[in-house]
Amino acid sequence: MTPFRLKILTPERLLFDGEVQSVIVRTTVGDKGILAHHEPYVAALGIGQAKIKDPDGKERVGAVSSGIVEVTAEKTTILAQSFEWADEIDVDRAEKARALAEENITRWKNDQRKLDIAEYKLKRAINRISTAERKL
Amino acid sequence: MASGNMKEIKRRVKSVESTMQITKAMELVASSKLRRAKTRAEDARPFFDELYAIMCRTAGLTKGLDTVYAAKREIKNRLYIVIAGDRGLAGGYNSNILKLADGRWTDDGIKPKIIAIGKKSVEFFSKRGYELIGEYPGLSEYIKVADAADIAQTATDMFLKHEADEIVLFFTQFVSPLVQNPIAMPVLPIIAPVGSLDKPNSSQVTYDPSPDAVFGRIIPRMITSLIVCAVNESYASELGARRTAMENATDNAQEMIDTLSLAYNRARQEKITNELNEIVSGANAL
Repeated sequence: MTPFRLKILTPERLLFDGEVQSVIVRTTVGDKGILAHHEPYVAALGIGQAKIKDPDGKERVGAVSSGIVEVTAEKTTILAQSFEWADEIDVDRAEKARALAEENITRWKNDQRKLDIAEYKLKRAINRISTAERKL
Repeated sequence: MASGNMKEIKRRVKSVESTMQITKAMELVASSKLRRAKTRAEDARPFFDELYAIMCRTAGLTKGLDTVYAAKREIKNRLYIVIAGDRGLAGGYNSNILKLADGRWTDDGIKPKIIAIGKKSVEFFSKRGYELIGEYPGLSEYIKVADAADIAQTATDMFLKHEADEIVLFFTQFVSPLVQNPIAMPVLPIIAPVGSLDKPNSSQVTYDPSPDAVFGRIIPRMITSLIVCAVNESYASELGARRTAMENATDNAQEMIDTLSLAYNRARQEKITNELNEIVSGANAL
């Protein structure tokens, strides 16, 4: 398959810049697969996994939480609030974050804003854990 | 007379020395913090650039689609988000950015509302009778995404409710520890770069699920990330400016001590000569 250029960026660092065969990302409306010569496209990303296939056919999976994906003729860009490759995820930390978020959800039952934040964090933690486990 | 002068000089040397110790300590603290802040700002820069580029590109491409975020409006209300430091003693860092914001609206006289980030920014604008929408002192050293999201949400809401027709973000770009640029970056409405409008097929971008939905979700996030990055840049600039300022202060203090020591030694010699003169003339008189 024709390879195309993909860039993955977070505020902390540049995670990936190179050729890939395909990308699958979780947008707010569902999973989206991107191949070379895709039409120009912009979407918001939800919390989920991103799968890329490099030119040798090897797959890599990462955990994404919220961001933007943009496809132009020159390249595809994933700008994410956070992005971690499956093999880089600290599962212990994610488990702790999940426990804390679950605790906060029961504690902040009456405060909608705090509840939203806790739920968001819980989703992220669960996503991290399942991404990491998928790898194993 | 001479001995009184000497005491005076000695006291001044001591006071300059203690000032120098402080400036030296501040210089060291600033340079060690700077190293961390600098990597953080520099690591975020590709993201920052790419994000702003996408924002502009998207605005250019959607010219025909008429989203509220990209439509230019007649300016009746302004909102400035101004990032400055929490502490002074950083050379021109605080005053440069604050003056840039203070002087930008005088052409048409529409006084902006302010979201102030950093204690110095809060103080500056509240003293000058600006209307402060949000005050965020003590945020810069370790900005949380949640705080930035708060600011972004407030700004976006104001824009949608026509309480602000123009939103500008003021921050200081970190070029090097010696050079920092104060920058005014228009955030909303999104301004398309010149030239992007006449590209063919430019309106054929697909937005999933719809342009408005995408914009509604993306814009607050874009602004959030812009703020986080801008705060990081500004913080690195602040430390750079402080380090340079303190380095100069330390050098000046050293120079002052040198001059004062010279004056002290002169006075001491003068005193000895006088005493000798007195002894000699006393002996001669006998």
